[in-house]
Amino acid sequence: MIQQVYDAVLAILNKNNYGYLSPADFNLYAQQAQLDLFEDIFYQYNAQVTKENLRGSGTGYADIKKGIVEVIDMFSVTAALNHLANNTYSMPSTPTTGSDFYFINKVLCYDAAGVTFTGEAERVSQAKITLLNNSLYTAPTTTYPAYTTEGSVMTVYPSSIILAGQVQAQYIRYPATPQWTYVSLGAAQQPQFSVTASYQDFELPLDYFQDLVNKILQFAGMEIRDGEIVQFALGQEQIENQDEQ
Amino acid sequence: MAYITDYQYYTNNNTTPQDANWGSYQYISLEDVVTNFLLMYNGNHSLVNNEERFKILFHAKRAIQELNYDAFKEIKALELQITDTLRYVLPQDYVNWVRVSMYYDGYLRPLVENVQINSASAYLQDHQGNILFDHLGNILKPEYSELTRQRLTGVQKTQYLNQGAPYDGYWGYCLDGFWYFDMAIGAAWGLNTETANANPTFTIDKKAGVINFSSAMNDKLAILEYISDGMENGDDSKVTVNKMFEEYIYAAIEFGILNSKLGVQEYIVNRVRKRKLALLRNAKLRLSNIHPGRLLQNMRGQDKWIK
Repeated sequence: MIQQVYDAVLAILNKNNYGYLSPADFNLYAQQAQLDLFEDIFYQYNAQVTKENLRGSGTGYADIKKGIVEVIDMFSVTAALNHLANNTYSMPSTPTTGSDFYFINKVLCYDAAGVTFTGEAERVSQAKITLLNNSLYTAPTTTYPAYTTEGSVMTVYPSSIILAGQVQAQYIRYPATPQWTYVSLGAAQQPQFSVTASYQDFELPLDYFQDLVNKILQFAGMEIRDGEIVQFALGQEQIENQDEQ
Repeated sequence: MAYITDYQYYTNNNTTPQDANWGSYQYISLEDVVTNFLLMYNGNHSLVNNEERFKILFHAKRAIQELNYDAFKEIKALELQITDTLRYVLPQDYVNWVRVSMYYDGYLRPLVENVQINSASAYLQDHQGNILFDHLGNILKPEYSELTRQRLTGVQKTQYLNQGAPYDGYWGYCLDGFWYFDMAIGAAWGLNTETANANPTFTIDKKAGVINFSSAMNDKLAILEYISDGMENGDDSKVTVNKMFEEYIYAAIEFGILNSKLGVQEYIVNRVRKRKLALLRNAKLRLSNIHPGRLLQNMRGQDKWIK
């Protein structure tokens, strides 16, 4: 999809032949646009839930929330967390689990052998964890574990959870950074799209094509100081948003 | 908890204890209650939303405790031999007593709670009545108070008509093999039924965690029937609730959360409160097992002639 987005952006930008966007700048704006849209998905999801509660949403093909959930789940990862010391584990990160996390959805705990599921850990705030550990009725157990986070470290309770393989996390990772890659052709060294080792397509599905173009155009329009481009992109985005209400 | 096979039910897959699953179908586990509540009564479209799981667990446990106090008919019984200390240490999971009995001569004899105290702590005093202290300023105490010592040595008197009664040893007269004591125990003015019991008596010292018996209980078997709170000594995996109360537990959790949540409309709080109470009444009725067969058995004596 990144090639089509690139072409569309340049086509709109190149009006009167004075708009040009270098591949490096495109990649920069592409990353920013994708992250912006990615974060918006969660707000859209919340808006749809609220809409459902107000009986403003349908089922079947009208089930917008379902589509949003499917997009979010495209970024879902389940991985064992790296054990640090005692009952502490690393939060998901590129070096430990292969990807950085945007949102930890659930933390699953297993027995010492790492085979039998014992319970889902609940996130507890630092303000509550001391009280919770001292609570007679609700102190964390292997059936009802809890965890807190501090920087890149996750502490799991009860403190008997101390082995590697005992804690797994299902989380939503960040989308990979898009990279439009190219080779330079001719005397003018025109960049020509070509898949190289660092190539990375957008990870958002195709229906975000228009949103990506609009977002990138806003940044590109600012770059070439063309207010019309920015206004056009903002207008398009507004229309898009209204359509999706 | 998953459904189990007949083999698992009867033999626990031939592992010890083989009776582990007997009767288990009557109950639903705490884990299932919490899981079901989270799935069915909590979420984006439910009254309960964005609540921590530990709160749900707390309210589930509190509801089970309340049921154990009065609605369940799950009375535990523990038999212990009483020695010359005349003391019965309350079980670890004791919350309240139902009945204390003495098992003697093949009969189970329910005992009467002594309305008077039969033991006390004491301070050491000098001949002028001053309280004595040690060098740290702590009060010196004897091993037993005089009241307790007299109970343990069997010389303490009691108002009950048992060993140690004030009338024990009084002169009376014997007629047709029965002894009568004119003035003392009711031949003239009627018997005081409250104290007319020949068995040993007891008092419960809740703070000390013991039942103190009168001296006649020495060397006898005491059976305490009591209720617990169903928390199984903190082992959540063993906490269960009768299925008759399952829906009540969900309603109780819902009420517990909504009742203490900011901004919940009063009509919603009232709705869940009424639902909770109605379900409790329903469950109590179901568990009371009032059915025609039982009533018939009780009614069979209605036409008996009293001679």
